[in-house]
Amino acid sequence: MKKYLLILLVLSGCASNKAVPVMPKFPEVPTELQTACPDLATVDPTTDKLSTVLTTVTNNYKTYYECAGKIDDWNHWYTTQKKIYESVK
Amino acid sequence: MLSFIPDAWLQLAVLGIMALGAVVYVFSYFTVFVPPLMPARELIRIAGTALIAAGVYFYGSYATEMSWRKRVESVQAQVVVAEKKSQAANTALVEARKKKTQVLVQRQVVIQERIKTVEKQIDAECRVDTAATQILNDAAKNPWNDAK
Repeated sequence: MKKYLLILLVLSGCASNKAVPVMPKFPEVPTELQTACPDLATVDPTTDKLSTVLTTVTNNYKTYYECAGKIDDWNHWYTTQKKIYESVK
Repeated sequence: MLSFIPDAWLQLAVLGIMALGAVVYVFSYFTVFVPPLMPARELIRIAGTALIAAGVYFYGSYATEMSWRKRVESVQAQVVVAEKKSQAANTALVEARKKKTQVLVQRQVVIQERIKTVEKQIDAECRVDTAATQILNDAAKNPWNDAK
């Protein structure tokens, strides 16, 4: 009986359900990713030159790929940082 | 609060309480040689037992505290490593982003040059109807701006 009482005492002394008081800092996002995607450019409505239309359209393609690249980088950033965060156990 | 007390002091205090309990308990048997303490014999024995029990309890707490401190140290070390990794990943991302932007800008320069070389030719051969320009502009407008 005394033996069980001792074990109970030791175990009750061990009782703890605290969480580790150490938290990794939320990772910084590169400022390059924080700028919003710009609106697409529009063509001067009075122009009838195909070259002007072509320039605007190709500029918009560039804008699209710039923005698409940013989204890809955001996904890459999230996946990488999540993996790093989860490595802390 | 316990975390501010050095490990060695804690251990000493816990073992001290247990040792004191054992001494008090054993002493209770020697009260036969000290007549004035004879009436308090049972009380001394109970106090000794209580001290031993408290010592055992504190020993359990001490073991938990120690394992806890080790865990905190381990997590702190991991956090430092993780923060460095995070920083390195960000630097690599920014570098990759710069290269991508450079490629995009270079390509756009080439495209613009190509347009310039055929500008006169395509403008002479083809005129764009303003209705087509209007449709193109409407399609280029940000639909979320209208929804706001």
